[in-house]
Amino acid sequence: MAKVIFGVWDGTVIDNRKRKIFEIEEDPAFQEFDEFNPGNPIKAFLGGHGFFIFEKGVHLLDACRQYMERVARESCGKCTPCRVGTQIIASKLSDLTNGNRDAGVLEEVAAIAEHIRSTSLCGLGQTAPVALLEMIRYMRPELEAEIAAGNSHPPQPCTTYVTAPCIEACPSKVDVPRYIDFIKDGKFAHSLGVILQKYPMAATCGRVCVRFCEMACRRTQVDEAVGIKVLKRFVADREKYITNEWFRSYPMAEKKSDDLKVAVIGTGPASISAAYHLLLRGYPVDVYEAKTVPGGMAATGIPNYRLPKDVLRNEISIIETLGGRILYDRRLGKTITLKSLLNDGYQAVFLGVGAHKGKMLGIAGEDAGLQGYRFGVNMLLHINHDYVNRGIPMDLGKKMIVVGGGNVAMDCARSALRMGVGEVHLLYRRSRNEMPADSEEVEAAEKEGIIFHYLTHPVRILSADGRVTGVEATRMELGEMDTSGRRSVFPVDGSEFVLEADSIVPAIGQQVDHSFTTPNEGLTFSKNGLIEVNPDSLMTGRKGIFAGGDCVTGPATLVQAMAQGHKAARCMDDYLTLGRVRFAPDERMSSLVQAIQPMISKGVSIPIRHEYRVKVRELDPQVRKRMFEEVEKPISVEEAYHEAERCMRCYRVYSVITEQ
Amino acid sequence: MIGTINGKPVEFSANETILQVAKRYGHFIPTLCEMADLDHAPGTCRVCLVEIERRKGAPRQLVTSCNTPMEEGMAVLTRTPALREQQRLQVELLLADHNQDCAVCIRHGNCELQDVAQFVGLRQSRYHYPHFYKQRTRDESSRAIVRDMSKCIRCLRCVKVCREIQGTDALVITEKGLATEISVRDNLPLGNSDCVACGQCILVCPVGALAERDDTEQVIDYLYDPRITTVFQFAPAVRVALGESFRMPAGANVEGQIVTALKHLGADVVLDTNFTADLVIMEEGTELLRRMEPGGRLPMFTSCCPAWVTFAEKNYPEILPHISTTRSPQQCFGAMAKTYLADGMGIDAKTMRVVSIMPCTAKKEEAHRPEFIHEGHPDVDVVLTTREFARLLKREGIDLAGLEPSAYDNPLMGDYSGAAAIFGTTGGVMEAALRTVYKVVTGDELAAIEFQEVRGNALVREAEVDLNNGTPPVRVAVAHSLKAARQMAEMVLQGKAPYQFIEIMACPGGCMGGGGQPRSKKAYQTNRVERQNALYTIDRERQVRQSHNNPLINKLYDEFLEEPNSHKAHDLLHTTYRARQRTIRHTMKEIWQEIEAR
Repeated sequence: MAKVIFGVWDGTVIDNRKRKIFEIEEDPAFQEFDEFNPGNPIKAFLGGHGFFIFEKGVHLLDACRQYMERVARESCGKCTPCRVGTQIIASKLSDLTNGNRDAGVLEEVAAIAEHIRSTSLCGLGQTAPVALLEMIRYMRPELEAEIAAGNSHPPQPCTTYVTAPCIEACPSKVDVPRYIDFIKDGKFAHSLGVILQKYPMAATCGRVCVRFCEMACRRTQVDEAVGIKVLKRFVADREKYITNEWFRSYPMAEKKSDDLKVAVIGTGPASISAAYHLLLRGYPVDVYEAKTVPGGMAATGIPNYRLPKDVLRNEISIIETLGGRILYDRRLGKTITLKSLLNDGYQAVFLGVGAHKGKMLGIAGEDAGLQGYRFGVNMLLHINHDYVNRGIPMDLGKKMIVVGGGNVAMDCARSALRMGVGEVHLLYRRSRNEMPADSEEVEAAEKEGIIFHYLTHPVRILSADGRVTGVEATRMELGEMDTSGRRSVFPVDGSEFVLEADSIVPAIGQQVDHSFTTPNEGLTFSKNGLIEVNPDSLMTGRKGIFAGGDCVTGPATLVQAMAQGHKAARCMDDYLTLGRVRFAPDERMSSLVQAIQPMISKGVSIPIRHEYRVKVRELDPQVRKRMFEEVEKPISVEEAYHEAERCMRCYRVYSVITEQ
Repeated sequence: MIGTINGKPVEFSANETILQVAKRYGHFIPTLCEMADLDHAPGTCRVCLVEIERRKGAPRQLVTSCNTPMEEGMAVLTRTPALREQQRLQVELLLADHNQDCAVCIRHGNCELQDVAQFVGLRQSRYHYPHFYKQRTRDESSRAIVRDMSKCIRCLRCVKVCREIQGTDALVITEKGLATEISVRDNLPLGNSDCVACGQCILVCPVGALAERDDTEQVIDYLYDPRITTVFQFAPAVRVALGESFRMPAGANVEGQIVTALKHLGADVVLDTNFTADLVIMEEGTELLRRMEPGGRLPMFTSCCPAWVTFAEKNYPEILPHISTTRSPQQCFGAMAKTYLADGMGIDAKTMRVVSIMPCTAKKEEAHRPEFIHEGHPDVDVVLTTREFARLLKREGIDLAGLEPSAYDNPLMGDYSGAAAIFGTTGGVMEAALRTVYKVVTGDELAAIEFQEVRGNALVREAEVDLNNGTPPVRVAVAHSLKAARQMAEMVLQGKAPYQFIEIMACPGGCMGGGGQPRSKKAYQTNRVERQNALYTIDRERQVRQSHNNPLINKLYDEFLEEPNSHKAHDLLHTTYRARQRTIRHTMKEIWQEIEAR
């Protein structure tokens, strides 16, 4: 466990300079800070709130110089102190590490640093000089000794990392403030370019993302989170007709030969993202899809009123524009097998088979064969596939009960209304506060007339002559927080009641359908039925076979699946060109930033003018509940500029000085 | 809500900024990037610092007053020693990456950065690093506007005007760190970009980063050369603004002083663009009546404003057939000067140089349109903005304020009507046209000659005129600013515009608010009302207030052009337009190269 010799963080000082290293207590807060990568100890850590020194012999001026040089490079260049001040500091520190013996410079550097901290416009400038200032304040003798030594000091091994709370919250690590900056700058193509660095499905994500970024947005401490998602949709929609054009003329970096061809299974978000990044790295990629339409859960699980099909198709077509092939109607385990793929010369395979199998409620009277019993995922699939795409009429009955509290349950309930079901009831066993569905989704469902029964759970399915006739349900009560952080829930005795219905739709989760493999193919599954992979490489138990997305994580979100696809592509590239997966410094920096979070004080200390978030126009609930047209309307250019200005740019720079 | 500034109580409402409240109560805070009448406070210069105590006894914090809201119980201090020191350091840093070639700068003596350095009491600047700004763009590709990013202080006012007032959105911000600059969309040179040269960005630039191309040297060359006959014209809006550059009251009409000054400079012939404004009314009015006949293309847009014409060519080529083919008054003047005037005065047109003084930067581009150049001879040889003309007078040691006015004495083109004078304001061309169209159709003069419905400053105004000829009343609209022009163009293309005739002026307020007019500091359009009133006063005081009653116009038709829209008039006074839309194809690779990977 790393031991802090000296450190200051958010004003709190740890000073062990007078003690011997073995006398310093171990602090579990620093257990992540031992080594950067195996065999490479972390000697110092610098950030926007302070710094820690873990080993003697760190050259402090050099550490600050490298840190400030990164800051100067990252400055957006708009406000004066950050643009000019960081540059002056970086060059003065450079002079000092190159043998300038004038210790008076330190005073001048401190004055400018304090000025940058107290007068910069955004989070970057306000935090960037903190480590340097604290060092000058508390370690002046050490700094003066370095200056007096007067020799030019070679750069220490240093890794810098620039991030922000929204970036860290995003599974795909999309550089959110940057794409918002590009909107402010008036460069929408560049804004989209930032998103496309991470995944191709920008317009899709701009519609259906669950927005971990907005939950982390520091603007919530002032008024409301920045409309990060709606801005993403704005740039993606605005440039949609040309995105494919950009890729058509994309000169591949280095075309890999055919004996390095790769197969990707599935066309869901994880697979598309994996295929995209493999294609950009020059690999020949074939994508196999079991159905006749692409998109995986994004196509079959998300209703058209949230994600119009042509939006998704257009983005998936980037794969073909980049030279990938998509082969339809090829189901792994049926028309093709892992073995046949390897025989066909694929050197690596990505499995993105998803979790498409409905989960039963596990209650009395439940029988998947009952008429009127439909798994939520299956119902959405049929609506999307048969009704929306092909116009085949469907009768879902007059009164439906949907069970579940996630987005799939909301999608089922709202879609059922649009299919002409007269009355839709939604049963959820906890209260609205605990509902995992997006609050916007819940609100939209309420507006459209879905009848919510919170703290209610079915205990028996009622049927007659093989048809569902209703459920017997019980009221529930919330208990204490359990170890997973959710509140436990238990039935209220004697509260049972009957709710009549002609159909019941369990939407409480999905499982991985294992029919794509056989036990002798070398894949292993967790007790939840998920594919087991090495978390660092996403490689399965079988060499060359990688997996990601819902089939590895369990049912999760679009952006998590795309993040896995991206990571898998990087690991597959390493595997195919080096035979091993390399250490990823950025991922490691991210975990250090994660580890330091508990020590960061929250809150925005200066008054900030309230500027309310853009209101997205929607189709009227009474109109939209009868059709599958997209509910949310696009925002205007003026609105986008205004919304972009709300971003506070909470960039933070972190660095580590390491042994190697 | 209540707080204090420098110990004195102030009242304010929620979300009001410290700067707004301080201004209201007369507490001066030095500012640079902020511009109140543009509702612009990007908070980039960081000069307007104040110290605050959010509650009694709370620690003091340094904040920028332009974008920090006042809070209940907040105490604001505007001149503590600590804060004054930070303000000075801020301006020092601003100067560190600013090209300090002040003596030769176009804003010399009139620069907001110089002002602010004085306001904060900076007596020496320790930091000046030429390598910080040397690599920045100096773009002289445009005929009208020069951009020198080594002087830019990133106030973003130009971006705001281009984006929100004009809706042209030609400017973007590129790069990061020290390399950051205001640039042109798709990295194009300004001359080939979406820019329409309206020059509104110049009006708000606090420093010398944006300016008109300076053509005064060319004019002095002409004046110096004895073989050349110089013919000067100046536009209606110039006379009500030029005085501002000579410390005269806003709205002073200096027409007579301009005539005197030009003669003093050695101009051979001094005339007024107002004469050809009357001519434009005759041609455009007749064209409108023709278009109102069955099969004619309506609505018809005015064509006097070159920024509007360029805007239409670059953005709405489908609308070009709707734009009147009549040339602008500047170009009609050039064409008449080198034919009718040259003939009448016995001057060889090849030795004649037409110099126009315009409130407008786009006129510099207009004069160079290929349609207006014949065998290498432009109809208008050089265009000076009002600002350049002021500079020329100062270079020649002429103080306009001290001159006695004089009158025109040219028997061919030396007269104008009140209708021509109001060409300088939004609504003026429409009003002038209606006066004449009414007379042509009905045979009578309009009883109420001042057309109040088209006056005023709303961005779009509309009116109806009954021509008493059995047809439904003519519906007209007036729009100013390119944002409003865009609305109009889109309405027409969607078939939703119920008008027959639409006046467009690209600059807010019309030519009197043109991009070539004197700049004011810290405000966008300071003297608009005074300039507008002055134009209407000129009209009111004119004996002849309708273009068709200008005796020299009638003489011109009788002796030279025959009748409006005659074959000869078409050759000399009408023009054509061309689609100039551009398509830019990005490749992902180019975009990604510009975005640093992280």
